[in-house]
Amino acid sequence: MNCSDVDGVLDAYGDHELGPEEAANVRAHLDECSACRDQVAARAALAHLIRRVPYYSAPDRLRVAVATARRPARVPPRVLALAAMVIVAVSLGGTTVIRTVRARQTASATTAAAREVVGDHVRALMGAHLFDVRSTDQHTVKPWFLGKLDFSPPVLDLAPLGFPLVGGRVDSIGGRAVAALVYQRRLHTINLFVWPASDSSEAPTDSRSVRGFQVRHWTRDGMAFWAVSDLNDLELEQFVAALNR
Amino acid sequence: MPGRVFEEVVLPHIDAAFNYARWLTKSDADAEDVVQDATVRALRFFSSLRNEDARAWLLTIVRNTWYARFSKPSSADQHVLLEETDERPDERLDPEALAMQRQAIERVQRALGELPVDFREVIVLRELEGLSYKEIAAVIGIPIGTVMSRLARGRERLLAVLAPQATGGGRELF
Repeated sequence: MNCSDVDGVLDAYGDHELGPEEAANVRAHLDECSACRDQVAARAALAHLIRRVPYYSAPDRLRVAVATARRPARVPPRVLALAAMVIVAVSLGGTTVIRTVRARQTASATTAAAREVVGDHVRALMGAHLFDVRSTDQHTVKPWFLGKLDFSPPVLDLAPLGFPLVGGRVDSIGGRAVAALVYQRRLHTINLFVWPASDSSEAPTDSRSVRGFQVRHWTRDGMAFWAVSDLNDLELEQFVAALNR
Repeated sequence: MPGRVFEEVVLPHIDAAFNYARWLTKSDADAEDVVQDATVRALRFFSSLRNEDARAWLLTIVRNTWYARFSKPSSADQHVLLEETDERPDERLDPEALAMQRQAIERVQRALGELPVDFREVIVLRELEGLSYKEIAAVIGIPIGTVMSRLARGRERLLAVLAPQATGGGRELF
């Protein structure tokens, strides 16, 4: 290959779109030609910069529009869930059945709760009811819950860490009144649901994705926490870490 | 995709859809309109989605929606620079190098925004979405050879804008 051959496939080479043989030919030429090496390096540097330009994240409104767009599912989800449980039950040996049943009950309670908090997150974003108290001051938000709940949720402002508190409300999850704290990250909203845990053991963080929303659940100091957002994985992890510092 | 629910397939790619629409339209409001319309279409065509990649499928619908509505040239050819501070600087760099890198990123963003949309979109799909040439060809509806030549010409233009004084190299400025 000479310089003009290589020039014609520089981009395909850098994009790993050449076949192995052709790529090897290009490499052989690059070993000997510093001018073509510079071309490759310039493109690599350009790609490096382009990948750092702002990535425009979809506003919550769009996510809600998708999450609430409906057409009837062919198989009702309940049937699917049942089928999954049957498969789980069948695939497990007899000796562990009791433990499995209990684990499955816990797991299915967790799944049900996850579905509920995501549903609540979506409804709140649809404008139905995001705030009862709108304040960035934790000393305003925390006392506001007094008398409205039978527990006192921990309220932390995480603005210095990039997750400002913007308000709170009282919601109902599984028939009980819970605290919903609203945090913001750029255009994204995080709903943090808090209520007293049913058992006092500290549970490690459970990560899952429900209907495209990221969900984190953990238990601490007798409280169950559920964080729901359309943020990416990493940033929601940061949020959870910031809360638990 | 039998048994799969629309939102579970589409929501994970909604950022990609919006980012692509935003680079096509260069306006938050237009991008939101396009993606909103595209999701309505996507829902209608959802049963036709078989085993192909859902992201490329959604991006194709976004592209078609945009094309149907906005393809008349220069409807909104101005843009706002870095209105979202979402760039991800290298954490290993010292403050001075960081500032230089940020400037370079801003220049790239501006230059990319000023490229003709034919070049701009192939670069966005390749560099920001990591699509293969074949996927880009399918999304835009052009031959793979055209994808390659648009990428080459788009990058050459960017390099020319970014490194006017560097002849051939360009590393000096990065």
